Amino acid sequence: MTTEVLKEKTGRYLCGQSVPAEKKQIQTWLSCTDEKKNEVTPEERELIENEIVGQVNAYTQSSLFVTKPDPWWKKITAFF
Amino acid sequence: MARSLAVTDFLSTLDSHSRQFLRQNNSSIRIVNIKSYLMNSRNFTPEQTLLDRLLSNDAAALEELSRRYCYSLYTYCMSKLNSKEDSKRLVRNIFIALWEDRHLLPADFSLSLHLYTEIRKAVVQCINNKLTKESDVSVIEEKIIPGFSVTELQKAKQPVKHIYTKKSGTQTSVIVKRSYEESWWIKHSPAINLKGLKHALQNMVNFW
Repeated sequence: MTTEVLKEKTGRYLCGQSVPAEKKQIQTWLSCTDEKKNEVTPEERELIENEIVGQVNAYTQSSLFVTKPDPWWKKITAFF
Repeated sequence: MARSLAVTDFLSTLDSHSRQFLRQNNSSIRIVNIKSYLMNSRNFTPEQTLLDRLLSNDAAALEELSRRYCYSLYTYCMSKLNSKEDSKRLVRNIFIALWEDRHLLPADFSLSLHLYTEIRKAVVQCINNKLTKESDVSVIEEKIIPGFSVTELQKAKQPVKHIYTKKSGTQTSVIVKRSYEESWWIKHSPAINLKGLKHALQNMVNFW
């Protein structure tokens, strides 16, 4: 498979226009995992966890700090 | 420190029968499982409770959920994309999207199913985006495209290995995954006692 073919296939898959064989090929590839490939020490694991959780936390805190105006659907539900 | 305390707290809450049962049934394997569970999560709050708390803008609930699942999602992304930065970005974006859509979650929302579908979609999207950049094309050719060969895809049909090793620091411990019948027997055999058998026999006699 070439990169051009892969690009077309993934593009069609994301748009929901891929043929069943392509869909099956991509889904099978997504289901293949090699656990041994990514073995890390508990310390490294904790670092990665902390980094991801820290970034998520920073976003949630900032979103709570900067209040957005209520969307239209929320105003309607509050009205009822 | 808090996690190790949580392990000891949990073990101390077990009654004498449970402790004896753990000893009889390879306690080391079970305690390793408990420890690994506690390493992943910080408390035992049910998932549904945490999801409900998201509606009241509880950022701590999202932190707990992301701490439970982020590493599994990260390793999956790493195995597919071979890029630490992309993997972290995808996992982070999934939890941020969950936070943004917290008021729109359906009543029968399943977090594990949501994460499963979202991470797969995000991986395909990421590869599609990377293919537009010339600098990433060579990396994809080398590391990702071989995964689409027939021999590699056939691995998905192979049964899950029953024995695998898990590195814990310098030591390597073997965790045995039990068959369904064996695990059922271990789980339910303490519930089958003489009193229960007697009761069942009495019921049968009464029936006849």
